[in-house]
Amino acid sequence: MKKIKLLFAALVLLFFAQAQKNNGRLSGGFETYSQFYHKDSKINAVVPPDRIGSNNYLKLDYSYKQFTAGVQFEAYLPAVQGYPFVLNSGKLVNKYFKYQANNFSLQVGDFYEQFGSGLVFRSWENRQIGINNALEGANIHVSPLPFLSIKAVYGRQRKIFEYSNSNVRGLDAEIDFSKTSKTTPATRVAAGFSYISRYQQYTGPVIDFPATVNASSTRLDISGSTTSLSLEYVHKKRDPHDANNYDNTSGKAFLTNFSFAKNNFGAITTFRTLENLDFRSEREATQSIGQVNYIPALTRQHDYLTTNIYVYNAQRLNETGGQLDLFYNAPKGSGLGGKFGSKFSLNFSTYRNHKNMDDLFSFGDEEYFHDLNLEWRKKWSEKFSTILLYQNLFYNRLVIEGEPLPDVKTNTVVLDALWKYAKKKAFRFELQHLATRQDRGNWAALLTEFSFAPKWIFYLSDLYNYDLTGTHYAVIGGSYSKGGTRFGLSYGRQRAGLFCVGGVCRFVPAATGITATLTTTFNE
Amino acid sequence: MMAIVLQIKANKNIKYQTLFSVIHPTFMAINNLMKRVLIAIICLYYSGFSFAQTGLPAVKIKTLTGQEVLFNTIGSKPDTAVIVSLWATWCVPCIQELEAISGQYDDRQKETPFKLVAISIDDARTSQRVKPFVKGKGWPFEIYLDVNSDLKRALNINDVPHVLIVKNGKIVYQHNGYVAGNEEELFEKLKTL
Repeated sequence: MKKIKLLFAALVLLFFAQAQKNNGRLSGGFETYSQFYHKDSKINAVVPPDRIGSNNYLKLDYSYKQFTAGVQFEAYLPAVQGYPFVLNSGKLVNKYFKYQANNFSLQVGDFYEQFGSGLVFRSWENRQIGINNALEGANIHVSPLPFLSIKAVYGRQRKIFEYSNSNVRGLDAEIDFSKTSKTTPATRVAAGFSYISRYQQYTGPVIDFPATVNASSTRLDISGSTTSLSLEYVHKKRDPHDANNYDNTSGKAFLTNFSFAKNNFGAITTFRTLENLDFRSEREATQSIGQVNYIPALTRQHDYLTTNIYVYNAQRLNETGGQLDLFYNAPKGSGLGGKFGSKFSLNFSTYRNHKNMDDLFSFGDEEYFHDLNLEWRKKWSEKFSTILLYQNLFYNRLVIEGEPLPDVKTNTVVLDALWKYAKKKAFRFELQHLATRQDRGNWAALLTEFSFAPKWIFYLSDLYNYDLTGTHYAVIGGSYSKGGTRFGLSYGRQRAGLFCVGGVCRFVPAATGITATLTTTFNE
Repeated sequence: MMAIVLQIKANKNIKYQTLFSVIHPTFMAINNLMKRVLIAIICLYYSGFSFAQTGLPAVKIKTLTGQEVLFNTIGSKPDTAVIVSLWATWCVPCIQELEAISGQYDDRQKETPFKLVAISIDDARTSQRVKPFVKGKGWPFEIYLDVNSDLKRALNINDVPHVLIVKNGKIVYQHNGYVAGNEEELFEKLKTL
């Protein structure tokens, strides 16, 4: 025994001496998003009792050789208006320890993971939307053979500052057929299988109630240099819970993508059909809490004021539809491209219900949403470039918002122009108009922005509902950034509406006030 | 210093060895085994882990065909600077920045050779669009995917766009956000490296 202790002591000494000589790596990030509200009866602004909302995050990671450990501290003092939860406290919420070798890794503590496209399982974080469904438990990755990789997860899901009272466990295996032979073929073919299971104790009176819910996914990816095809089929056992209105049937989904990309042209089509696929770590969970899988809206994610008024939210219980994208680069010197080149893109997405609830491939008559948009980017000279965007949209309010109000049809035009008048100085402006006969009628928007690279940017924007309410949503602001740090300050009105990132939306109430943000990264 | 400590330990070991081996021969075998294990552990400790050589995190990202690659092995060519840009298809300033760099790519290569690695943080919602999107832009960059933000998290990056300049396995410059003209600072920085 003494001998073993001696050997151990020698090893520990060796480790620390080495650690001192060859320092580990500390990396971290801090983020604060704070708002100071005031009364504004014109927009029915929500003012919390102490007029402040402040979300703060500090993350630290330390790595040494193949070991990494980290923590995340979050403080909501209190949470900003419209955040999915009300909290006025802080907590060290995530902690982990990870060991990583060449073909093996083990993480203990809070971790994020995704199987395939996430249709059966994804744990992730999005601070803007208030999502953090990390699992607390263990996550193992192992590649026993060059062409085989296996992931295993076990844990309980984070629920705001607590944990769900259930266990989630899963297994994912992927075979890369292109690695089964010694020569590497040009086309990669991979097949994957995922299994995920959730157990939540049931003490109610129903006999044969599924306390354990299993879901599986089978996928195939064929990826060549120009064309790619992916297919995925998901099946989930019956799972009556709040979010699916205690539907006792099983859930299904089918997802496929086909893409083509060559030279200056790219195209992709997506088709996805879903039925009763809401999957939660707790039966009682609703809204954005406790999601086990990830069902994003497969539509174009827009970034302009007027194109973000009517945004789609995927319908997890009954939806079928798809998306088409075309991208074309007219090179410099070509007829269409002119001296500086020109870029075109077209995007179309449409979603509707199933005619027959049991048939994934039946198309119903009720359209939920469509978005047809065309974009043209053109560089006119070294100094001047423009983006022109047109959008035609259909938005079913009853389905998307649950409000028994008429459907909305819009036509929107956006012009975004950039004039780089000196090497590091630029002026940018946006002119936007959204036309509709429904809801609040027409909107116009204007944005002007002055930037002084690499540090300063100042902007003034106004989103104006001139048709029905005569309301201006004006914002003035600026930001300063240096290295990995950025500080922003703005004052103005925030429109009430759905705020969506990825597949998750939160409803943001109208607010007026000052917003201050500070983000910093240190990893050098 | 370490070597001396180790030698003292080793000397003690030898004393124990001789003592025990006389009394009980089976101890000799155990001793040998222990020694071998110790040597093996030390060898393993010093040799193996190639990814521990740089200060960059060994996080898996994917190529556009789905092949996994470790982040710290990209751009491993010594003395060539690599611009790493974290971006997304839905991020307008990210596209502006990459377009601005793409427009000057050939001219700037003549001044200072560099490589640009654009890592998309598009998640399952939009990650399938990345490949045709990039082809339709005609960008001359190396493109990778970070679909569940593993790399973004490991680098503690809060928002995109975020650019890093990596040289000889070290982050020598970084900038968060894009302002028209930021690319000028990037190129100026490249010249000084």
